[in-house]
Amino acid sequence: MDLIEPERPAEDGKEAPPEASVKATRVPRRGRVLIGAVLAIVLVSGLYLINRYWISPALMTQAMGSGDHPDAPPISLTDIEGKRLDLADYKGKVVVLDFWATWCGPCREEIPGFTVMQDRYASQGFSVIGISMDDEPGPVVEFYKEFKMNYPVAVGNQRIGELYGGIFGLPTTFLIGRDGRIYAKHTGGINPAIIASEVEELLAMSPTAEKTDFKPAMVAGTATKIELGDPAAIDSEIPGLNLSKLTAAQKEDLKKLLSEQHCPCGCNYTLLKCRQVDRACPVSLKLAKEQMEKILKPGARTTSTGKSGDRGTG
Amino acid sequence: MKTFSAIVLSFALAAAGAWAQAPGPVVKAKVTMAAGVARPDSIVKAAVVAEVLPGYHINDHHPTLDYLIPTEVKLEPSPQVTKNDITYPKGELKKFAFSDTPLSVYEGEVRFDVALQLEHKTLPGDYEVKGQLAYQACNDHACLPPAKVPLLFSFKVVRRGASVKRSE
Repeated sequence: MDLIEPERPAEDGKEAPPEASVKATRVPRRGRVLIGAVLAIVLVSGLYLINRYWISPALMTQAMGSGDHPDAPPISLTDIEGKRLDLADYKGKVVVLDFWATWCGPCREEIPGFTVMQDRYASQGFSVIGISMDDEPGPVVEFYKEFKMNYPVAVGNQRIGELYGGIFGLPTTFLIGRDGRIYAKHTGGINPAIIASEVEELLAMSPTAEKTDFKPAMVAGTATKIELGDPAAIDSEIPGLNLSKLTAAQKEDLKKLLSEQHCPCGCNYTLLKCRQVDRACPVSLKLAKEQMEKILKPGARTTSTGKSGDRGTG
Repeated sequence: MKTFSAIVLSFALAAAGAWAQAPGPVVKAKVTMAAGVARPDSIVKAAVVAEVLPGYHINDHHPTLDYLIPTEVKLEPSPQVTKNDITYPKGELKKFAFSDTPLSVYEGEVRFDVALQLEHKTLPGDYEVKGQLAYQACNDHACLPPAKVPLLFSFKVVRRGASVKRSE
């Protein structure tokens, strides 16, 4: 930065020499860089604080205070002790539904806090339910014993994860109220004291009326809107695609198209087969949806007669 | 002024990137084959270079704790390859909020060296061996499910006696 001082007449009235008429005070280059960096940090910090404490809570209030608490999708599994685990049996109780895995460090860190909560609040109508996303029950059983878990734990599956909107990070924790609605979703490890405060608020709720004024703790990983999966798409014969808008002929056309194209994800399967064996594959899901949309476009022709019996599965 | 603007802009972009969702897979990987062609009974060398998204880590091939899922390069069986050797780098010890013990992990760019021993009866021609990089990634407070990146090792075999360049 150059500071230019205005020309001043010489004190003795004589004209000042040309080279002295302009005096420039230059801020050193290093100083300019430092000033720039400090201003940038202040700018970014300010933006972060505005988002954290003003914009996000406002969005939160908007999303959650308007009654947007969906019913928790049904879960019916056999727990690792061989007993039936049905979420419907917990209606009237506050439930912390924890998706976790034995290979997940943050999950292992969090679970002791859940066993403490189970002891503390069970008599008030509360339970933790653990859904392990491990591939096999063996490690889960060992973990259950080692960590002295005191609440029901079952090994989950892809379908349940999809019903709950997709479990993209572990742990993912849902808070379910006495009315069976989901009131909060947290992804990532969370301080047990925060969950406890949410549980206490939900324990005080009526078992029938939706608690519209509930506000979950706004921490990193808290969902501002709880989105669940579409059961029609999840249980579809082409997993991930809701086929209810297609005619029988269109369905056959779609299956034929998907059987003729290979999935570029590297699986060596056709798109149809990839959807069936790897429902998590985002590549085949995207391509299959595009094909379905083409078929649903007005004016699109069908070539199939709509007869049942799909022979080709890739 | 230009320097000042650049600094402000770079910070703002970095912040915007941090708040945005992670775009796609956390780990990308590509195969780089050693230049030239190979003879039957020779060793074909390659490298798998993985890029781990900033903020995430994947476990060392020999993980610090038993329950952690190791990073692994796996190759499909191939009639042309009798044996393959994978060299895994040593991970970096890092401390995370969810573990009292520092964990040996890979972050940023990671290189795995691959050596494919060709079968001595391999006929001249172009060949491909498929594989995958299997990993499980976490950041400081959440873990993603185990995942795989498909790999393809492509190489050309020439007859014995033909000149080769830098394949063995």
